[in-house]
Amino acid sequence: MGSSAKKKKEKKKDFQKAKLKVGKAKPKAANFTDTNFKAKSIVLTQQSLSTNAPTTTAQCAHHLSLLTHRSDTQRRDSLAYLTTAFTTSLPGSPLPQPASVILPSVQRLILDGSNAVRQQLLKLLQALPQDDIASHGDHLLLHVRAGMTHLATEIRVFALDVLEWLIGAAGDEIVSCAGGWVKTLKCFLSLLGWQNETAGKWSTTKSFSKSGGDAKVQAKQMSTLAVFLKAGLMPNQSAGAVVAVGDHFPLWQTEHYVLPDRSNAYSHLNLFGAPRDEEAEMYEDREDRQRVFHDRAEGAIVAALEQATKSGGELGRAAALLRKAVRDGMADFHQEDI
Amino acid sequence: MGKRKLGALEKLDADLSSLQYKCRRDPASYRDDFATQYQQYEALRDLLLQNPSTTDSQGLVSLKDLIDFVAHVADSYPTICAAFPDDLRELLSQHEELEPELRDKIVSAFVLLRNKDIIDSATLLNTFFPILVSTPSKSLRNLLFSKILSDLRSSNAKSRNHRLNKTVIAVLHTLLTRDRESPKGLWAVKITREMWKRQLWTESEAVALMEEAALSENEKVIIGGVRFFLGGDKEREEAADDSSDDDENVDMNKLRHQAGINKKTKKKARELKHAAATVKRKEKKKAAPHPLNFSALHLLRNPQGFAESLFSKHVQNSKSKLSLDSKLLVLQLVSRLVGLHKLTVISLYSYFLKYLTPRQASVTSFLACLAQSVHNLVPPDVLEPLVQKIANEFVSEASASEVCAAGINSIREICARQPLAMGDTLLQDLVEYRKSKDKGVQMAARGLLSLYREVGAELLKKRDRGKDAALGLRSGELRERRYGEEEVGEIDGIELLEKWKSDERRKKREEAGLDPDAPTDEEEEEAEDWKNWDVEDDDDSDDSGGWINVESDGEDISISDSEDESQPSSKKPKLDVSASKDKENQFMPSKSEDPEPKPISKLATTRILTPADLAKLQELRLASQIHTSLPSTKRAKLLAARHADDPLTAAEIEAPGLLGRKSTKEEKIAMAKADRETNHQSTTAKRKEKKAAEGKSSTNKEKARKKNFLMTLGKAKGKQKRSLVDVRKTLKGHLERQKRGGRRGNQ
Repeated sequence: MGSSAKKKKEKKKDFQKAKLKVGKAKPKAANFTDTNFKAKSIVLTQQSLSTNAPTTTAQCAHHLSLLTHRSDTQRRDSLAYLTTAFTTSLPGSPLPQPASVILPSVQRLILDGSNAVRQQLLKLLQALPQDDIASHGDHLLLHVRAGMTHLATEIRVFALDVLEWLIGAAGDEIVSCAGGWVKTLKCFLSLLGWQNETAGKWSTTKSFSKSGGDAKVQAKQMSTLAVFLKAGLMPNQSAGAVVAVGDHFPLWQTEHYVLPDRSNAYSHLNLFGAPRDEEAEMYEDREDRQRVFHDRAEGAIVAALEQATKSGGELGRAAALLRKAVRDGMADFHQEDI
Repeated sequence: MGKRKLGALEKLDADLSSLQYKCRRDPASYRDDFATQYQQYEALRDLLLQNPSTTDSQGLVSLKDLIDFVAHVADSYPTICAAFPDDLRELLSQHEELEPELRDKIVSAFVLLRNKDIIDSATLLNTFFPILVSTPSKSLRNLLFSKILSDLRSSNAKSRNHRLNKTVIAVLHTLLTRDRESPKGLWAVKITREMWKRQLWTESEAVALMEEAALSENEKVIIGGVRFFLGGDKEREEAADDSSDDDENVDMNKLRHQAGINKKTKKKARELKHAAATVKRKEKKKAAPHPLNFSALHLLRNPQGFAESLFSKHVQNSKSKLSLDSKLLVLQLVSRLVGLHKLTVISLYSYFLKYLTPRQASVTSFLACLAQSVHNLVPPDVLEPLVQKIANEFVSEASASEVCAAGINSIREICARQPLAMGDTLLQDLVEYRKSKDKGVQMAARGLLSLYREVGAELLKKRDRGKDAALGLRSGELRERRYGEEEVGEIDGIELLEKWKSDERRKKREEAGLDPDAPTDEEEEEAEDWKNWDVEDDDDSDDSGGWINVESDGEDISISDSEDESQPSSKKPKLDVSASKDKENQFMPSKSEDPEPKPISKLATTRILTPADLAKLQELRLASQIHTSLPSTKRAKLLAARHADDPLTAAEIEAPGLLGRKSTKEEKIAMAKADRETNHQSTTAKRKEKKAAEGKSSTNKEKARKKNFLMTLGKAKGKQKRSLVDVRKTLKGHLERQKRGGRRGNQ
């Protein structure tokens, strides 16, 4: 209301005109805002002005970087783009980006929360040429194991799909890489709930995070385990072929002198890595794997298979398959014992 | 990036926190689930170790959460988690590359493991300490430092963990000595200072550590160590004071009364219990003996060597690169040590000579250091040139009054400690300044005069000596003390106690009808003494209250009573003058030619003074102080008597100079205002102002209230003329107002 003289004066002050004086700078208005600023550098963002479209390589690189995008549709779309780019590339020509670039950025998505993204990822992986997978097998297997023990059931099931694909692509490398055999076996045992250490007097309760002990899921787990065991315990066909071929008279044991056909042939020596324990050890020989399997897992698996085969149905079929795999794989091991 | 909203598909069927809860409730049943999660943790850990700088915050479950989860339930599954602490150590060893959040989480998980007693303190400290010393990240350093401290505190909380303390001190010692040039030793200083402050480390080992720090090569470490000696004890006292009066007083009677009246709930009962416990704890604390803590300066093992090496290494050494401020700090410590322990560092005094000019930066600190380093065993001929120089440089008519006052005052401080440093011509010159116009100079000169009236009156002119001094000189009571002569030590007021005791005894014997002067047998008297050992209190505390078990630091002092038994006659507290005189003559032949030597009471040397005796002694002392009018100088001295441990600061040297200075108007106004709150406002006014500042307008009600009375007249209607709607509105409004509490509400 402006009752007091003081307030009146204050009000008046707002409307007073500033006097201009000769030789003095013009007084600044009350609402003057200083728009000066200092910056170390100024970047002018601009759209690309080039007339020709970016190459597939550049676009692939861009989409690879988008794989960490927070929107899952964006991630899925990027994966889809990459998949089509790889499948449409000419059979003889190299990929737009080398596998050593693609795989490290792609493999994290095995643990992705969105189902759509994961399915797309599997498609992408299947689109990759198998030869490139072998050298990245151990890293992929790490992610697969993380997926297999994941808290979410869907991711656990998905990890099995990836593992199956991985064994198909590079079975030998997977079972013989560091920690690849024992740790993965342990994962399977805990997934199926077949650990021998919990065999107490009491019947065990249903596991906390399993969605109702799905028979379907369990059957899938068993079949994947069968595939894994086959890869690890069966004699290697390609190796046998080499032996058969190199059996000529003057050239005995040629295979020892030719260049190794695997990458990093001396990795089992572990020259530069940290010391490993039994779990993280590499088991390159079939006999080694058989021995460790016998020590650590065979008893538990055979005992649990007894139960599983009795239940019949889908589960029983899967169990029978697994039992066959175990028997075939361990046949010559037990013969040696006798 | 905010938290991503999870779609229905992404939702986990179980989350870690609920699993954690269940694991804690029933570890055996959820063992499988935990094992699975542990495998997941292992898989993620392996992934991280492949490339430590990656972040996995994108995924649904991050390693961070898993580590947290495992750490929380690790105590329930010791076999599965056996390797977990080592894993964490390994992860932490790559601290440079880890992302900060994960790194912090690992640190806190490690501490959690320690709190659950899965790992011991030594492991924790061994893990954290190298990282603390080496990491470039400030936040990590702060975190680790606080964790290390809290762990040390908690392991010393119930009782001192001597073994741990010893190892930590050893580690800190190697840290200090391994690389003397590096600033890493600062952590040793910081930790020691903190532990000293909390009275967890009070041993001479910690002091030796700081000694090592003060003698290192790095400036920061040196200053840290020196500051510990200069301020550590004060800090400790303050911390003790703070902790003693932090909790407010609880009135138990009031609480009990309230509990009788108010509704009885569990919460109230709990509160009452809690309050009772607090009161009890407080009582206990009050009754607890004061902890015997020696100051760091007294716990030094070799003060002379320490002072010498400090001085020669940091101060005198022309190659030392310390700044002036740091040098001054070191000098303060050296002079403090010299003054306190009466050390002999002769080169120290000649060092000062260079710096005693008014133009020298922070010269008052130098003056204070000089005065502080003087004690009665410093040869006077070393000090004379210093005093002369101060007088020449500072004290003249031409110099500014503050300078002059500071000069005289510092001379006074020096001479108070060593009166022989002054010659009579100089003194008479300086004393003349009491006629100066400036008040500061006047006061300083008067201080000097009154000092010398007491300690060396014959140096003064006859008319300046004053009545007391002149009389004392004539009677021979006041004598100049020679160099190196010490005052005979005695307990103040012990002769009063002795007299009182003999009177008491005499009275008692008269009552009993015995010869009051006959010697009593020792046993009886002794027994009597022990009987009323304690001061007669209202409360009979039967425990050994007041006695402290001092842990021996190695050697024990054994006291044998055999002397007392062998010569009971000499133990007489009676004023057996001849015997005591004999004794005295044996011990100090130099004093024997005195006209009448004061008999030295042997009460304290022959008998253990009980607390009751000490209380009586204090009482008698007070009484005698009231009755006997002390000479004014002595009274002043008593007032000014400071603790011998207190340092002399530059401010004290400058103090008289500030006396005469006129304060400016601003200072006067500030002084008058003190800490009063300026421009008082009512709460309503403050609220209104705040509202206006926020740019909010006034309400319609406020407007109506403020409206000019004359403008409202036209609208004011008679009650009778209102429409029905208006009447209804009014009535409703009235009801509502009543509910709200008045027209303005409780706004």
